[in-house]
Amino acid sequence: MFYCPDRVCEHVITEQKPAEFRYPGRGNKLTIMQVIQGNEQLRRTPRKTPGLNQILGNFKTITEALDYAAWGDTGFNFYSPRGALQTVMPYSQLRKKARETGRKLMNTGLERGQRVSVVAETGPEFMIVFFGCQYAGLVPCPLPYSMHIGGREAYVNRVAGMMQAADASAVVTTADIESHIREAAEIAGISNVMTHEELQSVAPDGDLKRFEADEVAYIQYSSGSTSAPKGVLISQKAITSNARAILEHGLEITSEDRAFSWLPLYHDMGLVGFCLAPMMGQTTVDYMATPAFARRPALWLKLMSDNKSTVCFAPSFGFDLASRRINGSAAEIDLSSWRIAGIGGDMVRPDVLEEFTSRLAVAGFDPKAFLPSYGMAETTLAISFARLDSEIKIDVVDKARMKLSQCAVPASDKDITLHPEKVRKFVACGKVLPGHEMIVRNDKGEVLGEREIGKVFIKGPSLMSCYYLNDEATSEVFGADGFMDTGDMGYMLDGQIVLTGRAKDMILHNGRNIWPQDIEWAVEQIEGLRSGDVAAFGVEDENGEEHVTVLVQCRSREPQVLENLRHEVSQVVHRSSGVECDVVLVPTRSLPFTSSGKLSRAGAKSRYLSGEIAEIAVAPAAVEVQVPQMAAVG
Amino acid sequence: MSVSREDILAKLVGLLQRFNTNNIDLTETTDISTDLNIDSVAVMDFVMEVEDEYDIDIPLNVLSETHTISDLIGVVEGQLK
Repeated sequence: MFYCPDRVCEHVITEQKPAEFRYPGRGNKLTIMQVIQGNEQLRRTPRKTPGLNQILGNFKTITEALDYAAWGDTGFNFYSPRGALQTVMPYSQLRKKARETGRKLMNTGLERGQRVSVVAETGPEFMIVFFGCQYAGLVPCPLPYSMHIGGREAYVNRVAGMMQAADASAVVTTADIESHIREAAEIAGISNVMTHEELQSVAPDGDLKRFEADEVAYIQYSSGSTSAPKGVLISQKAITSNARAILEHGLEITSEDRAFSWLPLYHDMGLVGFCLAPMMGQTTVDYMATPAFARRPALWLKLMSDNKSTVCFAPSFGFDLASRRINGSAAEIDLSSWRIAGIGGDMVRPDVLEEFTSRLAVAGFDPKAFLPSYGMAETTLAISFARLDSEIKIDVVDKARMKLSQCAVPASDKDITLHPEKVRKFVACGKVLPGHEMIVRNDKGEVLGEREIGKVFIKGPSLMSCYYLNDEATSEVFGADGFMDTGDMGYMLDGQIVLTGRAKDMILHNGRNIWPQDIEWAVEQIEGLRSGDVAAFGVEDENGEEHVTVLVQCRSREPQVLENLRHEVSQVVHRSSGVECDVVLVPTRSLPFTSSGKLSRAGAKSRYLSGEIAEIAVAPAAVEVQVPQMAAVG
Repeated sequence: MSVSREDILAKLVGLLQRFNTNNIDLTETTDISTDLNIDSVAVMDFVMEVEDEYDIDIPLNVLSETHTISDLIGVVEGQLK
């Protein structure tokens, strides 16, 4: 164990009122200049600490890593939604406050090993609780901090399910969504609910017994169905192994790096990639909150320019949004320091990256910075990274032969130039990280060769321990040989993995995973509809972007009834999942079912695309009158 | 300077018009998230325009309880106070 002085850097102010961590209301609203002047003592943490050796993730536990990082001056910096530096939290301060908060948590009646759900807003309060749990031997379970307009009910149900899946004993929340979280905790049957302020008012009198190397670390919710969330249990061994592989091999981090992130901290790419791993490499991170990015995507690039950031990850859609919003400001920023522009969280889209490159070339952006990667919560975060400092490798394959033979056959030059509709472009996502294995298998479990498409399986120290308290789900993905089924489809190409889609039915929309079950369940609650009347799936356009399509079996042929139903379905889908969708009203008994009575989404989708299932024919008004007459005659 | 409810309604209807692909009548009772069929990214875009127009910040928790244009007028009025 390291001895670490709880020293306070005199130039850093972290003792701010909690209210300032959040969106300022009208009352304390300041212009960016005023904020900067008002906080002129506030200085960002530096890129590196002179004289302190950089250790890239070679630690046995999260707390061992934080004890070491606390020797230096680096840490986390938080920017306001309008781009002003708001809070600075060097690792030394984080450690001090985390230890103190761990004692407070233990003083609320918690026992070592219990789970603590904590709302993962982008701010120091969440991190203090997360790391406090590590020192106390409590298992933190980060909850989402995301809502769409009118989405209160959906949010409450979603986080209640997450609290239940973790069997949480306490919940810590920000004050602004306290009422949402209290409602959810009540559904989950949890009475120990605290705001950060309430937790901080507890005396720091509990005992700390930190997690050791052979113990658990935290629970991360997988991108699974929101109606039945699964908690991915990550061990100290998994997180330290993965962080080390990311820092050392994936990104080759040096003391000249400075990271930037707007990714949500309840997502593996945000939590592991841009909080835990950088801390384990003593790297400074500058943050803007995800909702702030969603409102002002261009501010992301502006802040990266100001900070001369070198590392940042985003899903394809993030690059898309920012390049469409940057407009004339591209010439005023400097992105020449950006050496790793990682892409993860959705299918890498070459067209989007090309557009980003062409719009940001004027800012000195180097397309060689693009770094496709592959990973998921079940592997802590990362499985593979493409090669650093090289062009993205795009594989162009023959669409028809791929469908027919399940083999990625390179497209002919003629088709590539003359018939772009006959080809499909895929991006190579790199070789598996050292110490891990990746194979592609067919349905029979046979390992496939180069360019043969099958399911992707992973083995290695970064794998999750299990889905917490869910043996059924765990045994579905883990084989006796230790390989885990990722649920993704792909093929190997020169040792690199190329992903082609998913074996599971999940829909990917704007970087978010949407589970068709959630949409179907919500729509089936509409009066007059029954279980089995609804099939939801994603339909890809030529760019690989998925659109949500919902087929609904309908018993009426009356235009007004159909119109009302169509409207209601679209409302329900929006409220439950926050997406727009195509509603297709189809005749009864048109949706296919498997022999075991389960809805076949793949079957419904292919019949819909082939035209076999189509929109119900609306009865003309005249016919409507005639039908009962004829019936009466008959 | 006080802004009247009618002014806010007119402004919001104007800002929402480009998301109104189904060309429905936009009134105080229109449900922004569901009647208009706009996705969550576009909603944030719209919210930002409203924030910039009035120089206010609309917190997420408030947004989650905002359904209709009338609700949103109330939010704007509340933030302007």
